[in-house]
Amino acid sequence: MNQIRATDQINTSSSRQGSPDQGSDTLLDVRNLCLHFRTSRGVLQAVDDVSFSMQRRRSIAIIGESGCGKTSLARAILRLLPRNVHTYKGEVYLDGTDVMTLSDEWFRQKVRWTKVSMVSQAAMNALNPVLKVGTQVAEPLIVHERMTKRDALARAREVFRIVGVPEDFLHRYAFELSGGMRQRAILAMALVTNPALVILDEPTSALDMLTQANIFNALKDIKNQLEVGFILITHDISTSSDLADEVIVMYAGQLVEHSLSTTAYRAPLHPYARGLMSSVPTLREDKKLEFIPGQPPSLINPPSGCRFAVRCSRRFERCDQEPPTFTVGEHGELVKCWLHAKE
Amino acid sequence: MRANLLQLVRYSIVKAIMLGIALVIALYLTILIVNMGGRLDEVRKAEISFAVSQAVLADPGNAGVPPSELKKQIDARTEIEFRRLGLDKPFLIRSFNYLTTAMSLSLGRAEQLVSDSGSRLVRLIILERLPATLVLFGTANLLIFFTTLWAGLALSRHYGSWVDRLVVTLAPTSAAPGWFYGIFLILIFAAALGVLPWGGMVDAPPPTTTLGYAASVLRHMILPTLAMFLSAFFSSVYARRTFFLIYASEDYVDLAKAKGLPSRTIQNRYILRPTLPTIITSFLLMIIAMWMGAIILETVFNWPGLGRLYMQAVNINDTPTIVGVMVIYGYLLAISVFLLEFIYAIVDPRVRIGAGAKKGV
Repeated sequence: MNQIRATDQINTSSSRQGSPDQGSDTLLDVRNLCLHFRTSRGVLQAVDDVSFSMQRRRSIAIIGESGCGKTSLARAILRLLPRNVHTYKGEVYLDGTDVMTLSDEWFRQKVRWTKVSMVSQAAMNALNPVLKVGTQVAEPLIVHERMTKRDALARAREVFRIVGVPEDFLHRYAFELSGGMRQRAILAMALVTNPALVILDEPTSALDMLTQANIFNALKDIKNQLEVGFILITHDISTSSDLADEVIVMYAGQLVEHSLSTTAYRAPLHPYARGLMSSVPTLREDKKLEFIPGQPPSLINPPSGCRFAVRCSRRFERCDQEPPTFTVGEHGELVKCWLHAKE
Repeated sequence: MRANLLQLVRYSIVKAIMLGIALVIALYLTILIVNMGGRLDEVRKAEISFAVSQAVLADPGNAGVPPSELKKQIDARTEIEFRRLGLDKPFLIRSFNYLTTAMSLSLGRAEQLVSDSGSRLVRLIILERLPATLVLFGTANLLIFFTTLWAGLALSRHYGSWVDRLVVTLAPTSAAPGWFYGIFLILIFAAALGVLPWGGMVDAPPPTTTLGYAASVLRHMILPTLAMFLSAFFSSVYARRTFFLIYASEDYVDLAKAKGLPSRTIQNRYILRPTLPTIITSFLLMIIAMWMGAIILETVFNWPGLGRLYMQAVNINDTPTIVGVMVIYGYLLAISVFLLEFIYAIVDPRVRIGAGAKKGV
């Protein structure tokens, strides 16, 4: 999977200006997305000026430490906002339409689950305890595609087969399923409407290693079978490497690197990404695990200049100014670090 | 299917027996307490011998009878009176007699209280008072229950709005009981404005037509209902709103929103349905509280309900009536709990399947 195909290229076609060409292979194009929260201590910049794009059928892993804004980024794309939103702006082109301009009702009808679905974090509690699993999986079809309950359940049965859940689980309740089966049922729910994009927010974080591996195998099969793109949000770097074509590294609310997984997992460009990767244990290599000293900065009044500078072993004078995003390498990798400035 | 039904029957029988035992124990304790563990018998015996000797001494036919003869006569009549009331048997035996009459719902005869129709049967006395309590407390409690449920749900969706903050601010007003507001309402609407009656249940003399009677009762109900409403509304709305806020932040509600379900569906299926067992519990507890009425509120509004009957009975140590009221209450409580078990099983699959079949899942 990690073979580089000729077409492997970070999708920078939009070049961050003008609207993306219709009918191109670009599925999602996020530009200058900001999501700031109001807190008692000030404005928290959970997602700060993030831009990236992805092509159809690709899968992108978004990695970073806890609290770096991964989940907030996903929620900003899905417009699942908490009550204390301060700023929510930017452009999110999905199939060429800026969904940020849609009204809530249009967004619900035209985007939610028809184009983008999600598999949420802490999936143990993501199923309604008093509704049958099948009902919950079939529900989006009834709402969005006006299917009859019978047809919707038939389709749910089909998707259950794809994700590997026994069909009679359709008539069971969430508490009768094991953790792994519940997670698969939620995956089935996310796939039932054939969305172009599925956002997986820590899909396996509450499961044991074997179940995790099972789920990831199921995801890989699905990726090969169906026309679907994945955004995989995780802090589990090693398992994500199995599925991801591209990697986005986030730090303190910002995107610091966006590269092909071959680059990101072997020779990451950003010093933070490098630190992150060398903190991952590997089975066969005899590697000394490293860690990054210090703490990520507070997202309330973050430092000016490069946000990683204080923890960075390779900082120099220019790091006092905020680095722009540089395009480097043969695949058009993006990195937000002065070390990659072209002189 | 058949095995399930069998299991259900067995389950309900076990449940009913457990509740029955609890009821017997509770009633027996009530009987012991009401009779002060038999101490009340001494008081009553003294009262009876006093009354008998007074009657014998005051009898003009006994003039000139020697005192020793009088004493014999008094003792004989006291003995008859004791035997008539069963006071010659030890309290332990009588306490079980009380219990059997109580459990069989025959309830016996009141010692001093009399129903408006002149009967001494405790059952009739209670049945006469029950409708008055039910019509007032039923109306008020149902009104409070459903308005607060609706308002709480609405507020949970408008968290942080000025209405929300107002309700939170006003919640402590419920620290004062209904009768406290009742006094002020009487002062304002009956004393100062004179638009509503001071108390009672119906005009005197009562209107002759059914419609007129109903209208009069309705007019008398306004102030007590309002008093109860005022004392319960804000804190109940506050509690409901917080309750729904907690359940609205469950992961499955979030996912339902991401699924693009209309907000009405989310509210009904993802917020109300999972919380239904809790809501039904509070509904049943409200119903149970309703059976008893409220002693002070009924006194303030001069309402002829069970609460006031209870108070009267306690004041004059009318044991059969006190026990009767408690028996009715105990039975209603047990039946409500029994029903609750089944309603739970209907609305919550976790209870239904967990209790129904113990398959190795």
